[in-house]
Amino acid sequence: MASVADVKRRHEVRLMKMPGVVGVGIGEKDGKECIRIYVEKDHPKILRALPESLEEVPVEVVVAGTFKAL
Amino acid sequence: MANPEDAKVVGECQFLGLEREGMTPTTNPNVVGVGIGRKTVRGMSSEDLALKVYVKQKVHPLLVKDGLVIPDEVEGFPTDVEEAGEFSIWRPIPPIYQRKVRPAMGGLSIGHFAVTAGTFACLVRDAGETFILSNNHVLANENRGTEGDPILQPGRFDGGKTDRDVIGRLDTFVAVDPDGMNLVDTALAAPFDPRDVTSDILGIGRLRGTKDAVLEEKVMKSGRTTKKTNGIVVDVSATLRVGYQTGSYLFTDQMIIKGERGAFSAGGDSGSTIVAYDGKAVGLLFAGSPFFTISNKMSNVEKALDVKVV
Repeated sequence: MASVADVKRRHEVRLMKMPGVVGVGIGEKDGKECIRIYVEKDHPKILRALPESLEEVPVEVVVAGTFKAL
Repeated sequence: MANPEDAKVVGECQFLGLEREGMTPTTNPNVVGVGIGRKTVRGMSSEDLALKVYVKQKVHPLLVKDGLVIPDEVEGFPTDVEEAGEFSIWRPIPPIYQRKVRPAMGGLSIGHFAVTAGTFACLVRDAGETFILSNNHVLANENRGTEGDPILQPGRFDGGKTDRDVIGRLDTFVAVDPDGMNLVDTALAAPFDPRDVTSDILGIGRLRGTKDAVLEEKVMKSGRTTKKTNGIVVDVSATLRVGYQTGSYLFTDQMIIKGERGAFSAGGDSGSTIVAYDGKAVGLLFAGSPFFTISNKMSNVEKALDVKVV
């Protein structure tokens, strides 16, 4: 089975192009590794377009705001 | 009954030189203010109102020059002389993080002469020389700086001036690529005098090498704006889009940190070293959102610049 890092790498470029998506990472959900999708805000239009899992790896959506250089 | 307001107007004219109809204004060099308040009798505030005359220094009436003695009454209203010292506008002393400090160290304000201010990360070393580490957008003004540009400590926003606060010159920077994936936002400054810098980080101490942080690891940082804060690593393999003055750029292999109590960082903290609880450097802070802080991995910074943290 492909590692979560491989799955992330395969999908991140496409995910980053989706409106409202500011980042893709790896986190933990229920003790299992998951793909994290960081979104700018909690907006139904953004959330509806996101997958629930990628190649059987669960997806967790996290509202992060916009990232700016400090 | 004597009116306190009348007494005050006369007092202002006699002691502070304010204009009043029918009187010649005179000034008393020892008086710094006039007001109305409770009369102090033998150190205790009494019930009676008095014309308060605030002086720089309270001296015995016999030692005061003729004509400068404050009378017991003004317009039939009792006076009360109180020592107030000299009034000055209140200028709070900035925290040490934003002041000029020599030897300078990690955690302090620093910046390219055209940049507001960021944070001095730590010292790094290549084969022989020692450099100051921070971000490209702090020391090299987002690719717009040129080798040799003056670097100020404190940064310009904290009063740093090019005629007296230049600590070194911009040496190398890793250019931020607007079209591709970036790993680091980093640059080096060469100090003029090695005695002007030290390997300590303010409030943290010396580093004990470098490592990669793991998920859920507790970390800390010392930075120009939010000073010393603690946080927890919530992602160690993030790909993100980060907004800069000059555009928005993609970064990969980044760490995301969440503050333990409130924000882990704010504007001006860019360049802070992220330190694990065992004293090892794990990251170089460069960006954030209202909820998270973003950091390069220190291992990637060392590789990109071919240096080691001191």
